[in-house]
Order: sequence, then C-alpha cells, then structure tokens
Amino acid sequence: MAGEPHNDLTGAHTGLRSGTGPSGPAPDGRVAIRLDQVTKRYGAVVACDQIDLELRAGRIHGVLGENGAGKSTLMKIMIGLVLPDSGTISIDGARTRLLDPTAAAAHGIGMVHQHFSLVEPLRVWENVALGDSGRLRSSEVRDRVAEISERYGLDVDPDAIVGDLPVGMRQRVEIIKCLRRDPSILIFDEPTSVLTPAESEMLFETLRHVVVEEGRAVALVSHKLDEILKATDEVTIMRQGRVVDHVITARTDASALAEAMVGRKVSLRSERVGLGHIEPLQSDTNEHTSTRPDADDAPVALWLEGLRVRSHDGHLVLDDLSLQVRAGEIVGVAGVEGNGQRALADVLSSLVGLEGGQVRVQGQRVASGVAGAMASAGVGVVPEDRHDSGVVLEMTVAENLMLVDVTQVAKAGVINRHELRANAERLIQEFEISCSGPDAPLFSLSGGNQQRVVLARELSRQPSVLVAAQPTRGLDVGAIEYMTECLRRVAQSGVAVLLISSELDEILDLAHRIVVISSGRIIGEMQRAEANLGRIGLLMGGQAA
Amino acid sequence: MSGQDIRGFDSTDIDHAAVSTPDMVEVPPHTVGPLDESPEVRSQRLKLLSEIVVLYVLCIGAALVLSAIIVELTGGDSGAVFNALLDGSVRGPGRIGTTVGVATPMLVVALGSIISNRAGLVNIGQEGQLFMGAALAAYVGARLGGPGPWVLFVLLVASVVGGALWAGIAAALKYRRNVPEVLTTLLLVTIAAQLAGYGLKVQWLLLAPAEGRSNRQQISRQLEDATRIPRVTWFGNEFPISAFFAIALAMIVGFALARTVWGFRLRMLGHNQRTAHRAGISASRYGSGALMLSGAFAGLAGGLMLAGGDFGNYTLVPGFPSEIGWTGLLVALVARQRCSAAVLVSFIFASLRTGSGFLASTGVERRITDVVQGLLVLALLIPPAWMFLRQRRRAVASSEDRT
Amino acid sequence: MIGSFFSAIFDVFTSEAAYINALTFAVFLAFGATGEWVAERSGTLNISLEGMFLAGAFGAAVGMDQTGSEAVALMCGMAAGLSVAIVQAQMSHRLVANQFVVGLTLNILVLGLTSYLASELDPKTSKSDTTTIPLLSDIPLVGSALFDRSWLFYLIYPLIPFCWWLVYRTRWGLELRSSGENPQSADVSGIDVNERRRQSIYIAGLTAGMGGTYLVLAAVGQFEDSIVGGRGFIALIAVIFGGWTLRGTIAGCLLFGSVLSFRLSLPALGYDVSGDLLASLPFVVTIVAMSIFAARVRPPRALAQPFIRGLK
Repeated sequence: MAGEPHNDLTGAHTGLRSGTGPSGPAPDGRVAIRLDQVTKRYGAVVACDQIDLELRAGRIHGVLGENGAGKSTLMKIMIGLVLPDSGTISIDGARTRLLDPTAAAAHGIGMVHQHFSLVEPLRVWENVALGDSGRLRSSEVRDRVAEISERYGLDVDPDAIVGDLPVGMRQRVEIIKCLRRDPSILIFDEPTSVLTPAESEMLFETLRHVVVEEGRAVALVSHKLDEILKATDEVTIMRQGRVVDHVITARTDASALAEAMVGRKVSLRSERVGLGHIEPLQSDTNEHTSTRPDADDAPVALWLEGLRVRSHDGHLVLDDLSLQVRAGEIVGVAGVEGNGQRALADVLSSLVGLEGGQVRVQGQRVASGVAGAMASAGVGVVPEDRHDSGVVLEMTVAENLMLVDVTQVAKAGVINRHELRANAERLIQEFEISCSGPDAPLFSLSGGNQQRVVLARELSRQPSVLVAAQPTRGLDVGAIEYMTECLRRVAQSGVAVLLISSELDEILDLAHRIVVISSGRIIGEMQRAEANLGRIGLLMGGQAA
Repeated sequence: MSGQDIRGFDSTDIDHAAVSTPDMVEVPPHTVGPLDESPEVRSQRLKLLSEIVVLYVLCIGAALVLSAIIVELTGGDSGAVFNALLDGSVRGPGRIGTTVGVATPMLVVALGSIISNRAGLVNIGQEGQLFMGAALAAYVGARLGGPGPWVLFVLLVASVVGGALWAGIAAALKYRRNVPEVLTTLLLVTIAAQLAGYGLKVQWLLLAPAEGRSNRQQISRQLEDATRIPRVTWFGNEFPISAFFAIALAMIVGFALARTVWGFRLRMLGHNQRTAHRAGISASRYGSGALMLSGAFAGLAGGLMLAGGDFGNYTLVPGFPSEIGWTGLLVALVARQRCSAAVLVSFIFASLRTGSGFLASTGVERRITDVVQGLLVLALLIPPAWMFLRQRRRAVASSEDRT
Repeated sequence: MIGSFFSAIFDVFTSEAAYINALTFAVFLAFGATGEWVAERSGTLNISLEGMFLAGAFGAAVGMDQTGSEAVALMCGMAAGLSVAIVQAQMSHRLVANQFVVGLTLNILVLGLTSYLASELDPKTSKSDTTTIPLLSDIPLVGSALFDRSWLFYLIYPLIPFCWWLVYRTRWGLELRSSGENPQSADVSGIDVNERRRQSIYIAGLTAGMGGTYLVLAAVGQFEDSIVGGRGFIALIAVIFGGWTLRGTIAGCLLFGSVLSFRLSLPALGYDVSGDLLASLPFVVTIVAMSIFAARVRPPRALAQPFIRGLK
C-alpha cells in the first residue's frame, strides 16, 4: 500500500512526457552518455564495481542508493573529478576520457553539487563565470545570467554577493552556473536536502522543463525514495558499489525499490524513515509517539531563553530563540538548513558565546561559550559534523571515548592505560562499535562507527540533556536504525532529547513535540499528534501559519 | 574569548595548516586499508617501508651532492670539506665533547618547540626567546650574590622566566587579539635582538663595568667561576653536565606528552580545537601555556649557553644566540616532533656546526655549512610530505565511499 | 619628552629628505608586498618573502657585476627571486609540505647561500643614477621623493595597477581569488587550485626579485648579507595590515616605510635616539598595528590552509 499514491504521481509525470512513455527496460530517446563496466578501486575497497549506466536525452534518470553505495564516486567519474580504473565512457556514441572537470564540461556534462561549488565572497556573475575559459567579460556573463534567469524562472540578481543569499537562492545560482554552459547532460546530486518542500516542487518543475522542452539528459542522485518516485522516468539502483537493478519508475513501487536498495525486505519503521519514505501523517498506527509518559508533568531539563547569537560578519544567527525540553521528551527542531540550527548546537556545545539570553540545565544557569561548561552541566551532544567538533580523528578509539573525563582514568596526572583501555573495551562492546580494538586510530573507523563512538562517549557520561544534530546524516540504513532506536531508548530513560534535523521524516518519526526554526527563531510549535505537513512546510518556508 | 571560533583570521586558520600537513604530525605508518594483517597487507606495508627508505636515501643524497657541486663550482674541494667536517665534529680528539656541548641547547630548544607543536601552534621565535632568556640570566648572574650553585640555579630560573615571558607576548596577542603567532613570534626575534643590543650599551642593564673591557665593546659581566655549569671529562671529551640534564628533560617531556593528562589534552587541542573546547580544554589557557612553556625551554637553552661555556666566554654579547634557536626549531622538525629522535638529530646538526670550525684549512667559507644544513632540511621534508599526500588521497577517497 | 617627540614628528613631516628616505623604504616594501598580496589572495602565506628579497638582491648584484647592465641585473634579480619562489611553491603547493616550515628553511638557506657565494664571488656594484622627471619633480616636499629617482623606482608605478588588474579583471585573477576563498568549490568548478597558488607565488617571487634589485642598486648600492634584515617580514605583514586589499597594502608599506626611515631621518635632523631602539620601532609598530587590525579584517577564507583534493 505504501507505493500506490506515488504511482499516481509518476503517472501524472508520464502525462507530461508527451508521448515518450515507457516501453520496456530499453526506453527510446538518444543515449547521451553511456558508462560501460566502469570500475574504481580505492586500495582494497571497490567503490564502483563494473557499473553500466545509460542516460538518455529527454529523460530523468534516478540513481538511487544508500550512503556509501558508490553513487557519488560514479558521479565524480562522470564530471571528471575521479578517474576510473577500468571501463569505458561514451558520449553521443563516441568513446571519451574525462580527465578533469574542464574536459567533462567541454563534453557538455554539468553537475549541480549537493554542497554547491560556489565561492561565497564573489558575486553571482563571477561565480557563474568560474570554470570557463577565454577572456573575462562581465557584461556578457551578466546578460547570460539574466537570460537564463528569465527562461527558467530562476530569478536572481547577477551582482549580488553569493554569501548574502539564502540557501535556496544559492541553489538557483548553482543551477544557472550549470545551465550557462548549455550542458546536454545534467547531474543533480541530492538536490533537495537544502530546500523546503515547496522549493523542491519548484526545482522538479524546472527539471521537467529542462528535460521535456530542451531534450537534455538528467541524472537525479538521491537516497530518498519519494523523490525518485515523483520525479524520475527510470531508476538505476546501486548497492555496495554495484548496479543491482534498473527499472522504469512507472512500473515499480516504493517497497520494491527499498528492497533492491537495501538488499532485504524493509519492514522496520525506522529503516523506512532512513529511506525518506514514510507516510508521516497516517498517524497513529505508530506505537512510539504515543508511549510518552505524561511529559507535561516532567521537569524541564533544558531551558533556552531568548538566545541571541551573532555571526562574525554581524548578522544575528539566533534571534531571541526560546525553547524548553522536558525530561523524557524528544523535541524535534525542524527547518531548512542554514536557519540557525548550527548556532543552536554550537551554543549547547559551549562553542559559541551568547549575545543575549540564557541556557538553563536542570534549573541551573550555564555560562555560555566557556570551555567544557555545557558538558559538565550534563549536556551531551552528537554534533552535526562529528569531524568538526565530535571526535579527534588522529587519536585512538579509547582516547576518543574519554575525551571529556580522562581524569577518571588518571592518577596524579598520569593516565592509566589499562583503565583507559578497559573502559574503551566495555563501551565498544556495549555500543557494538566495530573496530580493530581500543588502540585503533579513529580515522580507521567507518562513519557509522565513528558516530557510535560519539554516542557512546556522550551517553556513558549519563547526561540529563542530549542534543542530536542531524544524527543520521551520511549513515547507512543499519546505522540509522541503530541511531533512532538509541535516541528513543535514551528518552525513555528520562533524558531530555533535542533533535535538530532538516529531514522532516526523521523528526516526524521520533519527536514528541515539533518546533520549526526559521531565521534563527522558533516560529511554530505543535505536538506530534497535531502535526500537519502542510503547516510545517509553510513554517519552514518562513511563513508563520 | 567567546565567539573566537567564528571570527576570521584566528588560530584555527594557521592551526589547521600546521595540523594537517605532514611535517608537523606523525603519520602512522598504516593509515590505509583494513587493519587486519593479511599476508597481502603485510607485503604492502613492507613495500611502503622500503619506498620510504629509498626516498630518504635519495633525498639526502641529492642534498649532499648539490652541496658538493656548490663547493666545487666555487673552487673548493668537496672531499676535503667533508673530511674537515668529520674531523671537526667527531674524529678530532676531544671534538665529541665540543659537539655535545653545542647539541645541548639545541636539544632543549627542540623540546620546547615539540611542546608548542603538540598544541597545534607554530612558534618560530625561539631565537628571540632564547636571547631574552640569556639576557635575563646575565642580568641576574651579574647582580646576585651568594653561594655559586645558588646563583647558578637562580640565573637558570631567570632564563626560563625570560623566555616564557617573551613567548607570552605572542600568546597574549594570539588569544586576546587574534594575531597569528607565526608572525608575532617571528617579529619578536628581531625586537629581542635590538632590546638586548640596547641593554648591552647601558650599564644599569647589562653592560659590564668599565674595567676589564675595551671602551666601546658591548659585553656583559663575565659569570664567576662558581656560578658556571660544571664540566666533566670522559675519554678525553670535556662537556658541561647540562648535557645529562637535557637528555633527562627529553625523557620527561616525551613521557609527559605521551602519558599524562596534560599531554593528552594538548594533543586534543592540537588536533581539533573545537572538540577540545567542548570537552573543556580552553584553547587560550592550554595554548598560551604551551606557547609560554615552549618559550621557557628556549629561554633555558639561553641560560645554559651563557653558563655552559661552549658559546662565548660566559658573557653576553650581541649576536649571542648564534642561530641555536633557529637550528633547534629545525631539529624538532627533522625529528618529526619526537623527543627521542631530537636527541640524535641535535647531535647531527651540532656536528655540522662544530665541523665548520675546521673548514678554514680547506679555504672554503664556513657559511657553506648553513647551505648544507638548509638543503638537508628541505630534502628531509620531501619524503614524509610525499608519503602523506599519497596516503591521504587514498584514505580520504576510501573513507568517502565507506561512510 | 612628549613635546620633543611631537616636534620630531613635525620635523620629519616637513623635511624633504625624510620623504625621500621614507619612500625609499616604502617602495622597497611595496615591490614585495604587491606580489605577496597576489599570493595571499590565492590562500598562501609566504614567509620566504624575506629569502626572495635577499635572493633578488644577490642575483641583481651578481648580474650587475658581471655585465654592468642594470637591465640585465634586473633580469637576474627577478630570476633569483623566482627560483626561491619555485622551491617554495613546489614544496608547499605540490608536495603540501607545511608552508611556514618550508619558508623558514628557505630563508635560512638563502641567507647561507648568498653570504657564502658573496664571500666567494664578491660582487661589486655602484648606485644607480637618477632619472629626473621634469615638472612633477618640482612639486614641493614630495616631488623629488617621487619623481627624482632611479628608473628602478619608477617600476612600482605600473606594477601596482598591473597586479590590481591581474587579480580583479582577468579570469586568472577570478580563479586565483576563488582558490583563496573556497578551494573546494574552485576545484569542482574545474580550477587547478594548487596550480593557481604556485603561479601566484611565482608572481611574488618576481616582484620580490624586483624589490631586491631596487634595494641593492638604487637604495643601498652594495650587496651585503644583512641587506634585507627582516624587512621581508614587514612587507608580508603590510598585506595583513592592509586587510588583504591592494590599497591597504600600499598604505601599510608607506606607514612601515616611514617608520623604517626614522632611523635615518631623525639623527639627520639632529635628534639623538638610540639606534637599537629605533631599529626595533618598525617591528613594534607592526605588532601593535596587527593587534589593532587583525581581528577586524576578513582574510581570504582559505588563507594558509593547504589544499588537498578531497580533504575537508
């Protein structure tokens, strides 16, 4: 039943395709680029294993796979950032070698990057001109920007400084930058992660426009089933570096795709969340959200009051933000990326000082920005970017597990290595961290296991508040499942959990209460049971509804 | 200091450069691939090891050949130069002792620079910190009365304080005003030399009383016999007992950095300032501590030079540090920031220096040893950088697709 | 005491000789700082600027001694500066060895090499003749300081706008700035970040070579190994002082140049100040200036961060 409404949606798209309906696994349309048996190894790891892929003009081709399935390596091969070890690439039927991004661009391949390829302090037109060759003529570039803006409805001022633009606008610049070279092949890498639902709709409209009217070939890389089902004509599914299936979108459904992607039947709810596919508002067949113990009576464990934080270039990133989290409660902070979530997590990590307002933990006021203050007040943090403020890559697993409390295994200032190791072994077992031992350097662990190290350390300190910022980003399905289960258990044990996420599905799945953050302030709040996707979407777009 | 992390040109900019590039960081030999030891992996590692050895041999060889070419081009005899260097440093009678005496302050400077490096700081002002340490020691030594060993002790403490305070200026500017320590420590070298030069011109500071010196000479009062560092003679080699002290220091610093809570926190700070801050390690406290300690070591080296007798005649003169500060810094770099290796490397660098004293007979100018030294250091930077780059590329690439 | 300080300042500002001295130093600094500004905009920070100056001065002295032609001397100076730049660039932006370590080592190496070679070759030079520009040189106070100089001095006039044009008006400059601000983005846009950085260091080497030539032929007249004496670092810092704008960098050079010239100007005007303390003044002023301005200006975001593809 999961797939049906989506089939309807894709059906609508089939109508848009004006007659180029699906006609079997080898659809019509000119082959724009063809990858044959492309393989890329990194040491013992095979990132791409004999990949075959065909993108056809006038069609949107989904590339679906979990994180780590090899999608991004494959795309990097197509834009010349990575050279394959073996295999051939043909463009318009001719064999080609894509040695660097410039060569790929010359062959008409363009990519809209997930993390953008824009240089913030430069102007829009300068960014658009970046990567071209020949003399730099600003008026020409400006005219071109204006022309493309108009044609695709991507309104943007060519003279604006990119750093001053909101994220959604930056993606427009990125798209214009890509379209300016008039590419015959367009690759979109996880394009919706920075967009509101409404902006995503608009993006897919633009995509259709590009494909249908101009006959370009489009690859849409994603790990979200919904998106693939909605927007694509055909799908290639990757798993562990291989192509496991290739289907016409209209002839498949969500559960089939999910199964192909993960390699087994997907039944657990949290797994489906990880795949970006739940029917969130079909409440409340779900067993978790309703099991919250009378949270309204529980004491407030984390109290944020009128937080104001200013970034170094002077604008407010948190603007009078207030929020309470009760013990045992999971509060989800929803919002489009770049609306102050990072600053909020930084405040609770003692990394940023407040210009105004205060943080109270268990009723006690905690000094802001003072090294270690939040940690010793009982605030555990699973940071958005663990490499940035969660772990020390160059130190061992055992050391990373004791970053905060190393004095506990030390006598007279000398660390007792046995105790350090014993403690690590205990946590490695408890949290099922897969590594070669407590002395393994942290960078030798996979992302999911690094995340477990962070989680193990923060939870072993028995915090009263746990802040989880984008906790499942970049993890594979198994790790996501572990993470969400863990957050749930932690909350049940009486910890106040603040879940900051830009994945709405994740929040709807986990949170008891949902708040929406926009431009550094909380602009809406609702209980999970009352949550309304439309309203959250509007709020995320910055409209108080 | 809140909000420092989000400001522009602060510590992190430079720290990252220091932390993430090879010469400052020990790169474990096995940064790539699965950690289980299959025969395949072991043979790969052996191959890697032999590559490293070959690279080092090639680079050092190239540096020496280049030096020889320079000597030959300017009409010298490179074989004679090589022999003279060997005679002057170790082969000649009693020369090992001289070399040990020169190596001692180099090692102490190097230890300090290892400490600041561990905290992710780039202190390149040891030459100035050393001078300030020596100057304060000379001031105290000339004025303090009492039993000789007591005076010696106090003047060494003064040298520690002098170096620490001089580095403290850079630390304060870094953590209060966001001025990168690379630049301030460097500028403070010149200022230290000029201040000491001024001090040596006025009698109420450092200048010795008029009797016993020619009139316009800039020189401090000579330390008295009892306040000098005792010297010992082993197998015809005479050297100051501070050499043992320096080796003990190397062991202590090595232990402290590897095994203590303090060393643990310093490493955390050096590798990831933000993680450290969250875990309660204040960059300004631990960082300025490390920078000042690093200066203290350089200052102590100055005190040891003043009271040791291997540099000048127990007096302070302009140009007193004679590039021991710079060389000590290079020792730490070439030793890849390891205390044990620094002991050996400081001896080698000291050999180049004492060997240069015997060059006069060959008719080659002694500055050639600076050239040899510079070329050697550059050559020694290449293999680790090259290996690092290769491994990093692989590690990053594989981790990208396995997360 | 305070009063005499201000009267000294006043005297300096009204003395034609003081302007000549100040500009002598300022222009020397500006040669290096302009190139270093280009290099820093690409995200590099070259401590070896000192060594580039020194190599340039030595190269020019040898070229002058061997051929007697100032033009050839300039070529030799620029080539010598460039050769130091090549080592710096290849070591730190191809091999990604730490740029401070490489720079420091190069400074020591160049100092050793030039003083060794100078004692072996002993290049003899003399001071370059001045070319007076009619009318302009008659401007009171600053006329002769600006327009009655060696032809080497006049090179700075086209050099500054040329570098500005290069960085802000060419595609190369756009790519260079991107490499300094966001190397990852520049990389995926198809720009060879490390190549741009190496090229920018070559520019710094060439202009520092010009500066060295100017120093030895037009300002001092004779090569000695202490001829640069730490002033390369001041040129480097002028860029930081100027907040990474060319205008600010030149202002920094003028300020530091004037301070450097006090040591010559003040005694000439009859003030008795200790030479040592006066010599340390520019360095002290530099530190103070940095501590006032460093926190306020925005550097290129990737300044002094090495770029390795895939890292970060």
